[in-house]
Amino acid sequence: MSKPSSLKVGPFTSNVMVRKRYAIAYLMIIWISIFIVQIEIWVYWNLFFYSFQFLVFLPLLFLSLYMSIILVSLLEAKFFLIIVNILHKPREGVFLRDVSDKDYRYWSLRNVIKKWPIWLSHKFPFPFMDNICFKMFGVKTKFRNSLFEGWVDCEFIEFGKDVIVGQGSIIQSSTIIGDNLIIKKTIIKDNVKIGAHSVVTPGTTIGRNTILAANSLTTMGQKLDENWIYLGIPAKKFKENRYNDDDLEPILEESIEDIEELRKLYELLYFKRHDTSISVKERTQKKKSSSQGETEKKQTKPITI
Amino acid sequence: MNELEKSTSEDSFDYVLNFNTSSAISRVKLNFLIFYVPIMWISGMLLVSAFFALIETFDLWFMFPILPFILFAMYFVFVFSIMIITKLFLILINLIHKPKQGIFRAEESDKDFKFWCMRIEIKRIGVWLLKHLPLPWVDVWAFRWFGVKMDFSSHLTDAWVDVEFIKFGRKITVGQGAVVMSSMIVGKYLIIKECVFDDYTVIGGVSTIAPGTIIGKDSILGALSTTNYKQLLEEGWIYFGIPGIKLKPNKFAEEKSEIIVKRDVDTKTKYEVRSKVNIDEDKRKLI
Repeated sequence: MSKPSSLKVGPFTSNVMVRKRYAIAYLMIIWISIFIVQIEIWVYWNLFFYSFQFLVFLPLLFLSLYMSIILVSLLEAKFFLIIVNILHKPREGVFLRDVSDKDYRYWSLRNVIKKWPIWLSHKFPFPFMDNICFKMFGVKTKFRNSLFEGWVDCEFIEFGKDVIVGQGSIIQSSTIIGDNLIIKKTIIKDNVKIGAHSVVTPGTTIGRNTILAANSLTTMGQKLDENWIYLGIPAKKFKENRYNDDDLEPILEESIEDIEELRKLYELLYFKRHDTSISVKERTQKKKSSSQGETEKKQTKPITI
Repeated sequence: MNELEKSTSEDSFDYVLNFNTSSAISRVKLNFLIFYVPIMWISGMLLVSAFFALIETFDLWFMFPILPFILFAMYFVFVFSIMIITKLFLILINLIHKPKQGIFRAEESDKDFKFWCMRIEIKRIGVWLLKHLPLPWVDVWAFRWFGVKMDFSSHLTDAWVDVEFIKFGRKITVGQGAVVMSSMIVGKYLIIKECVFDDYTVIGGVSTIAPGTIIGKDSILGALSTTNYKQLLEEGWIYFGIPGIKLKPNKFAEEKSEIIVKRDVDTKTKYEVRSKVNIDEDKRKLI
């Protein structure tokens, strides 16, 4: 509710600007959107100058100015986005993180275009405008989802109904790892609750009614089942989500007594990867089979400049 | 079957809350504009009329040197009028339904959930306005005004806080990016429990504090650690980890000693270092 400067995560686009000339598009959007302010003030001045109504409606004027500057810049950004997307269609995949790569350049350009409206709307105490921005930019969400306390990427994300994104948590659909830019669609289904300080990496699919507990992390492309509580780094099944049953009020009043016991369980869960452990034999076999394939792959790899 | 599978299998299932989720951040609804617009409008009108009264009464040459001060003062006029109107609304809402701790359904039909959302949404404007000032100390006013029990010796500027059911002692430090929750949403239940912090406690950065936590005097919760629902942290200990358990007794609070024991990593031996404590001679007897 009261967001500090140290947890201020947002505005919701990445700050990578591959070419400095993209700033021209950014400045254009800002410039044109400020025209609406001039026009509205001019109309207001002509209507009510030196009258009683001038003072009465002045606060409402400022509120409407703010709303209209966001809406106009949103329309502009949408217009630019449509043009950019006609030139090069946004797509998922692994791309080279280099100026020569077209997908990387256009990903950066899209982010720059989205920045101004979403920055403006995030500077408002109420989160209405954030959700309108998401909807305009093509993120599938419901208007009542609360996504404004975390950091959410602006494309290739799908949200269901009643999703809550916790304080300071991050939901990505694109990351930069080494020389690669990875864009993968993240899908979060109905009634998912994501805990505080947790991170959802690109390509994650979270099923219905699932809870991702606080301080946890999902791996790339992980699929979380329906009706479970996941916890840990990386996230593992903790227990079934039976908290949607009726009449649990007296049971929930109880608290855990032996915290040391819980710590032992958490140590098992938190930092070890139980789900993907394979024996030494299997690993050597895998290496052998993959090394043959790798030599073929190396030849087809694009040449970096 | 390994230990992990045993612990998470269906037979051993219990409903005890041994994990944390996020605070029950309220849903986005346009209904709240019923509160926002009048609050903004009335306090905005107050601001405008105060400003015009100043211009009418004083000469322009007199206004010129004190204009920076006036602009700053105007911001506070706006904030204070918002605070007062919000408080009036809050009193009205609390008269209709008294805020209370407990476990409720997180559904529209539940009265407690509905009023909790309303309270949170109304408080948002005032806290937001004071948080975005270059004076980080003034937001304690907002917290006190809206029902957090604290005084000016401690601060909450760097942390994410629920603005009700939190009780502070004296001289408390809350780290950067910490999340202090007095409400939590689990499944379809909303849990509201009071958090209590005793005197001189320190809470590390990026730690998560669940509702119902009680932290004793002189205790420390380390960085990146969490507390559990209704966990009690004893007096004078350092707690650390997920979930926070006792690490060692808090000697740092007891005495500010001149001799510090250090450990050599290579030879694995301990040795003492005499360091100079930077305190004036006449004040040494105080420690």
